[in-house]
Amino acid sequence: MSPFWRKKKQQVCVIGLDGVPYTLVKRFTEDGTMPALAEIVRAGHLSKMCVTLPEISAVSWPSFMTGKNPGWHSIFGFTDLKPNSYSLRFPSFGDLRAPTIWDKIGERRKRSVVINQPSTYPARPIEGVLISGFVAISLCKAVHPPSILPKLEQDGYIIDIDTTRAKDHAYLTGELVKTLDSRERITNYFWENEDWDFFEVVVTGTDRLHHYLWDALDNETHPYHKMFLDYYRRVDAFVGRMYSRFRKLTDTADPTPGFFILSDHGFTGVRQEFYLNNWLKKEGFLKLQTPDADSIEAIAEGTRAFALDPSRIYLNMVGKHPKGSVKPEDVRPILTDIKAGLSELSLDGERIMQHVFERDAVYDGPFASQGPDLVAVSNYGFDIKGSLKQPKLFGRSVLTGMHTWDDAFLWSAHKPPENLNITDVAGMIMQHME
Amino acid sequence: MKGFTIWFTGLSGSGKSTLSRKIEEILLERGLKVEVLDGDVIRTNLSKGLGFSKEDRDINIRRIGFVCHLLTRNDVVAIAAAISPYRAIRDENRKLIGSFVEIYCRCPIDALKKRDPKGLYEKALRGEIKGFTGVDDPYEEPLDAEIVVETDKETVDQSLNKIVKTLEILGHIPPSGKQEYSDEEEEKIKERLRSLGYI
Ligand SMILES: Nc1ncnc2c1ncn2[C@@H]1O[C@H](COP(=O)(O)OP(=O)(O)O)[C@@H](O)[C@H]1O
Ligand SMILES: [Mg+2]
Repeated sequence: MSPFWRKKKQQVCVIGLDGVPYTLVKRFTEDGTMPALAEIVRAGHLSKMCVTLPEISAVSWPSFMTGKNPGWHSIFGFTDLKPNSYSLRFPSFGDLRAPTIWDKIGERRKRSVVINQPSTYPARPIEGVLISGFVAISLCKAVHPPSILPKLEQDGYIIDIDTTRAKDHAYLTGELVKTLDSRERITNYFWENEDWDFFEVVVTGTDRLHHYLWDALDNETHPYHKMFLDYYRRVDAFVGRMYSRFRKLTDTADPTPGFFILSDHGFTGVRQEFYLNNWLKKEGFLKLQTPDADSIEAIAEGTRAFALDPSRIYLNMVGKHPKGSVKPEDVRPILTDIKAGLSELSLDGERIMQHVFERDAVYDGPFASQGPDLVAVSNYGFDIKGSLKQPKLFGRSVLTGMHTWDDAFLWSAHKPPENLNITDVAGMIMQHME
Repeated sequence: MKGFTIWFTGLSGSGKSTLSRKIEEILLERGLKVEVLDGDVIRTNLSKGLGFSKEDRDINIRRIGFVCHLLTRNDVVAIAAAISPYRAIRDENRKLIGSFVEIYCRCPIDALKKRDPKGLYEKALRGEIKGFTGVDDPYEEPLDAEIVVETDKETVDQSLNKIVKTLEILGHIPPSGKQEYSDEEEEKIKERLRSLGYI
């Protein structure tokens, strides 16, 4: 039967590589570490991409899947405040306030297979298959439809490595490989056994590797240097296999429209962690009930501002927060003071902050007002944290890598828009599926 | 949960009834007690016989406000959906009720004329209905409504999301996300976030 009988399906395949910087893709495709990706890169457009703020997966992936900034989807971090309180809550997929790309695809009766998508836990029904990624806890709540659960269990599907044990680098690297293999087996299964128009799989191991072993990348004497490169070779081979089978399936030549590869933020090495709440405390913006209180739950009267991880600053507004003390007319001078103070801040002659954004500059949409009043972006090397558990302004931990906001990447067959942002990708995908 | 009043205001056809019914569904699903007082319905019973003079309109809105007050203090969520064109009377109700969330359904008159689901604007413009709010009768916009929905720009779902999310943030209703994680799960999530330096 002639294939011309059938209307050609406009299929899309998206590969997510969590936390992989544009600069690293460039380097590894040029130095031979990632030969398969190098060939793909030659055939299309590898672009540097900015992401929404703060530059963490909890926010970036929702911005990708909705094509909107957090002012629309309303996820501003891994944490937010419980109403009328200073204690933390952990937004879930149910908090997402904008339709996802596969919701829109589903409205047209097209099917999606989405594997290991972070920020989709607990899974909810979509037209097709969804397997949630980080912070998914139990597999039975991480899948739709429930009927796929036995297959995943039988196959020993691994959602994520146990990061609480990742300090043990032998464990970490072993688990990363196991997890990637398990991901690929399940990917193959659904590729073959589902009827789909949109297929997406996200590799999150790259992000985990970077957090704990970024220092191994450039240090050839590091005991895990070879493992670092080896993991990337495995990822490269996986991406290469996905690319060639997509081409076979869609019967397209280079540059294979419909194929997309992206990351949700970049990465760089940590020189020092910078503890934002400690700074707010030192400058008198944040007051705690006892000097050694280690959480903003212990906020005291008179607090003008506090921070939530990693880099979100909220003014302690009257009427909005239980111990609010800032009135609308005080907002401007406080914002100005905080911005000025942070901009001046330096360590060994180097400025900590690249930019401190006001809310309106980075968010619009119906939920913008629920976002932070300020979002800080640091210079590479200074990792901003909200933690009050550290004694000083600066410090180090077991983590050697930190996120960057202006160094994510997108590979696409067609040239993407100028000043590319992660919120643009959904539109490019939808355009292809029209 | 404590009772409170959701007070919709806006021109005819701006979306008050549509949104109030949808909100009712969502709140019922979350286990709250809910009562909707729709202006069009109230005029057939509680306010039967009242006309559209300023005086009659004020009586109508005060009556609805009083019922909302009774419901609210009995831990019911009262949802009023009436044009309620006069700011002073809305503010009177706000004072009386206390726990009060005003939602302004903003929609430019041109969009309403196009939408005109009940054909009322057409009649009003032809002069067949006199004293029609927004055409030849005043409407005073709220100055500080808790929520403004722009129903000519937003879809019903977007407006709805905005309202629900704000009610959550204001602490009037429990956040939907909160019930999605068990305490045990929340502990595990915290542990993982900590191990990656996210909290
Ligand atoms: N964002 C929106 N919110 C509410 N209604 C909307 C919205 N967008 C379009 N509409 C349409 O506008 C009309 C509003 O009518 P209705 O709810 O009866 O208005 P009212 O009760 O204010 O007179 C409905 O047909 C509804 O489908
Ligand atoms: Mg109505």
